Amino acid sequence: MSDVLLQAENVGIRFGGLQALEGLNLTVRDKELCCIIGPNGAGKSTFLNVLTGTLRPTSGSVCFLGHNIAGLPLHRIARLGIARKFQIPSVFPSLSVEDNLKVARWGAPSPVRPIGELMELVALGNRATTLAGALAHGQKQWLEIGMALAIEPRLLLLDEPTAGMTPQETMATAEMLLRLKGEFSVVAVEHDIRFVRALNCETLVLHQGRRLRSGPFHDIESDEMVRDVYLGRR
Amino acid sequence: MIARDRNWLVIFAVCAALAVAYPLIADGYQLTVIRDALIFGLFAASLDFFWGRTGILCFGHAAFFGIGGYIMALVTLNDAIPFGSLLGVMGAVAGAAFVAAIIGYFLFFGGIRGSYFTIVTLAMGVICQQAAVSWSSVTGGDSGLIGIPPIAFDVGGLHVDLSQDLPSYIFVAAIVALVVLALWSISRGRWGTVLTAIQDNEVRAAALGHNAPLRLLVTFILSAAIAGLAGALYVCMAGLVAPDLSGLLLSTEVIVWVAVGGRGTLLGPVLGAIVIQRAQQTISSFNPSLWPLLLGCVFVIIVFVLPDGILSIYARLKSLFRGRRQAQ
Repeated sequence: MSDVLLQAENVGIRFGGLQALEGLNLTVRDKELCCIIGPNGAGKSTFLNVLTGTLRPTSGSVCFLGHNIAGLPLHRIARLGIARKFQIPSVFPSLSVEDNLKVARWGAPSPVRPIGELMELVALGNRATTLAGALAHGQKQWLEIGMALAIEPRLLLLDEPTAGMTPQETMATAEMLLRLKGEFSVVAVEHDIRFVRALNCETLVLHQGRRLRSGPFHDIESDEMVRDVYLGRR
Repeated sequence: MIARDRNWLVIFAVCAALAVAYPLIADGYQLTVIRDALIFGLFAASLDFFWGRTGILCFGHAAFFGIGGYIMALVTLNDAIPFGSLLGVMGAVAGAAFVAAIIGYFLFFGGIRGSYFTIVTLAMGVICQQAAVSWSSVTGGDSGLIGIPPIAFDVGGLHVDLSQDLPSYIFVAAIVALVVLALWSISRGRWGTVLTAIQDNEVRAAALGHNAPLRLLVTFILSAAIAGLAGALYVCMAGLVAPDLSGLLLSTEVIVWVAVGGRGTLLGPVLGAIVIQRAQQTISSFNPSLWPLLLGCVFVIIVFVLPDGILSIYARLKSLFRGRRQAQ
């Protein structure tokens, strides 16, 4: 279909004797929101690394706008319109908040959003001159999301965007993403079920490197097998 | 303009004023001593531009200094080549840049960073020195090449001859000032900010669309080209070129000049080179064997007491007085 942005087909990856991923499929359409959840070691971050082209799958393919992106250099993947937020807050600690966003903007082929708007968007409007290394953990996470937004992505990949955040910060992050809904596609790997529930979007559940279930979150949440393996019973 | 930039410009202006006033109080010999120290300062600034901005240490930077020197010598000593001085300088800059481009391409795009880069560049320096010794039919072997003429060229009908002490001092001081100012402008602008980002987190910078290996390569080439320029200037002023100019000892010395002056400041390494050269000459004049011991001790003390180099003394004193005032 013409509105398909990212298509992962039958993706598998093996590290020596370990089959980390097997037979995974994911289709992300333009401006769609999607979550990948699963217990520790399920292969979520590995799958995200494959989706961003960082890891080359041993089987299957990953296409972005029809182009196979496996093994492409990171900067070329970014210029295609794929932005990524890493699991560990990954900002430039020696630079100010403003300079972090400027560096991100300079990497974009055609930046649109002004720096001031980006800072307001990630609630760092009053921290422009603060060194990124001096920010609180949650603020670093937001700054990194702001940096990803600065390159005007068509697809934003978030690896545990709320890790280490307070419940209030987690909900503020979900609200931020919902406000941006409709501007670009988002794939979020997340542990925090409150965050996934707030997004209430298409969800892929991984378990031991394979697809366990996929579908709308309210269906996933009530699925017996998902509750057994990951969510747990109340 | 932020305070850090303003401080840098003030220190630059003071240094420039001192450089202008120096010929009024110095004799010909003292002028040539400072002129040569300034050339080594330019060499130190070239290393600082790469090391200070990227955090990657090149331990064979003298190779580029030596390559520049030998190319300059070979071009100017060949009477068949017209405009020897100008072509020699251009050849020296281009030759050093070319070698840096070849080596840098494989290192940066091969993902070689940190101590591995340092070790490979150290080996490069050793190879260059050995090549200068072994390829005696071209380089003159151990004794090098002598009789290199001073720089002389015509600009718009004006004949510039740098065989005299004062013109050569003015020429070198102007070149050093211009290059340091240009490198500072690059460092504080977009290019320098992205380099700082790459130094902080190369993967993050690449994931934002920056071609990190290419940026590192271009910075390395520019740094090597300036080292080549310094080498070319030096051999014309000294009148000779020898394998030592591309050797490990000079590569180590330039690291000390940068570390003592203040890595990442560009001006600090120039001052570091001048101060250490002057100290070396003074101390060696009454006890030649004392110098290496003193240099080692000074280096260790500077690393512990002033890890940001001598240029940070001003900022440290400022914060000390501010702290005392607040305590009162």
